[in-house]
Amino acid sequence: MPAIETRGITKVYGAEGSSVHALRGIDLRVEAGEMLALVGPSGSGKSTLMAILGCLDHPSQGSFALDGQPVEGLSGPELARIRNQKIGFVFQACNLLPRATVARNVELPMLYAGVPGSARRRRALELLEQVGLADKAGRLPGELSGGQKQRVSIARSLANRPSILLADEPTGALDSHTGSEILELFGQLNAQGNTVILVTHDPGIAARTGRQVELRDGLIAGERRA
Amino acid sequence: MSSGASAERLGEAWAELRENPGRSVLQALGVILGVASVLAGFSIADSMRRQSEQFHVKQGGLDKLNVYPRAVAKDGPRGALETANLGLRWADAPAGAALDPGAVAGISVRRHATAQVRSAFTAQERQLTGIGADFIAMDGYTVALGRGFSAAEQEAGAPLAILGASAGRSFFPGGDAVGGTLAVGGIPVTVVGAFRERVFRFSPSDSNIFCWKNRIIALPAVFVQKRLQADPHLRLDQVAFRLPDLGRMQDFSRRLATLLQANHRSQRDFRLDDVAARIKRQQSQGQIYDLVFLLSGVLALLGGGLVNVNIQMAALRERVREVGLKMALGASGREVFKGFMVEALMLTALGAALGLGAGVLFSWALTAMLGVPLVMRPDSFAWAFLLAAAFGFAFALYPAWKASRLSPMEALRYE
Repeated sequence: MPAIETRGITKVYGAEGSSVHALRGIDLRVEAGEMLALVGPSGSGKSTLMAILGCLDHPSQGSFALDGQPVEGLSGPELARIRNQKIGFVFQACNLLPRATVARNVELPMLYAGVPGSARRRRALELLEQVGLADKAGRLPGELSGGQKQRVSIARSLANRPSILLADEPTGALDSHTGSEILELFGQLNAQGNTVILVTHDPGIAARTGRQVELRDGLIAGERRA
Repeated sequence: MSSGASAERLGEAWAELRENPGRSVLQALGVILGVASVLAGFSIADSMRRQSEQFHVKQGGLDKLNVYPRAVAKDGPRGALETANLGLRWADAPAGAALDPGAVAGISVRRHATAQVRSAFTAQERQLTGIGADFIAMDGYTVALGRGFSAAEQEAGAPLAILGASAGRSFFPGGDAVGGTLAVGGIPVTVVGAFRERVFRFSPSDSNIFCWKNRIIALPAVFVQKRLQADPHLRLDQVAFRLPDLGRMQDFSRRLATLLQANHRSQRDFRLDDVAARIKRQQSQGQIYDLVFLLSGVLALLGGGLVNVNIQMAALRERVREVGLKMALGASGREVFKGFMVEALMLTALGAALGLGAGVLFSWALTAMLGVPLVMRPDSFAWAFLLAAAFGFAFALYPAWKASRLSPMEALRYE
């Protein structure tokens, strides 16, 4: 069963007459355990596609299934549950709560899953250990470097053991050395069985994944497998 | 969030408030001021009321029904019947008490006169108070030196006097009033007692408003009526009945009016004054102040609430990305709504608790300044808290609803 399967996904923004077609019909199948990169220039529709794959946005048309479960037509709370249980997000800007400690940031998805406080704390420390930041649990994000923040963000994305990791330009704000370390971490997570989808405009980063899907003007322009 | 959700939500709300102290303090301030002003308003009204009660208790008690004579015809010449009528007189006192002997715990009578009073030191034209029955106790006097009048002395109209503190000082500057002799209207009268000084001040810096009570020269009423006024009908200026059970006052008052009217040739030449009812009436007129205080508190809460909505809306603009992030991590719109509501209500509760403390301080300071005894009723606290909670809830709804309606994608992209 594929982790993700889309058929004819389109996304149109704005009213008729002044509408913008961000996606024009995407057919994409991602197998469980795959690591792929969505590449393309700015405005190609890769971030829009990622938002739809992450159930953050609705497609205008087309069908879409996650782990074989159709997603279109699901209610807001049902989509929230999918985001919480099946998907882990990693953003370019990390998006950590600035006044919450590192551990509390990692606990957040578990909070919405109803995990009790002590179990949450235990799991957060375990994940921070995994990304090499166990000693920073009580710190505020402002006290961390860019690479460390992104590691916290990755730890948070793994909190509820999701099957799919979606990372939008995860190394975009990092220097090349730190970026390389982060990609290595994604590689390890993929090796552990996670499906990883990276959105990037950097061909060097895309080359480190097993499959690259290129988007151009809202359409899949090409695909390359390592 | 499903298990242990309430405790978790409270914990999260507390963490949010703690992590944003500036915003939290600003939001709480409106509630604190509103609650403090509602509570202080109630307390000051209650304190003033208590002071008024204390005044009347000191005056001789609230459980009294006073009867005063009243002119039947106010304008024009009096008719034959009115002229023949005797007005309030001694016989009315026992007749009234006999109406309900179980309820009447005391009777006091009073007859005023004016006469020349002379001692070895001074001679003055003074008002005299002819007293009878339980006057001393019912009017709040106590005999400090010497003694009161015996029943036999009252009945006989013995030439005896009890002096108020300042009257004693006027006529006997040496302080030896008891045992001394006064000439009252030319009749020698022996001073047998001296009243304790009466003092009542609304605030420590005020003058003694019971000063006039210390000027009393009390004589047996019968002495005043017979010896000074030569009145065979023993007319009185006041009869007072003491009824400790205020519940029986209204019925007694009605029966007394009927009896007196029947005994006074069907003329209502008297006036009844139910002290407790009068005070209650005065106090219910004072309830307008309660309402004013309540309204000012409500307005403060309303103002605070509107300020809070604005702060919440401004904070929401700051928090759009945060809401988007939480939604991306799995928070549903309902969860976001509940989170905002719990935060606002927790802030309201904390603000209200602090406001109650501030209200106690305000009330204490204001009553101390006014010299009024501080009275704070539990229901004033409850009202202030409930009003704050109601306003807090109402004003939290809109920002919480707005937050819950955000699209996670747009919220995450919000700059």
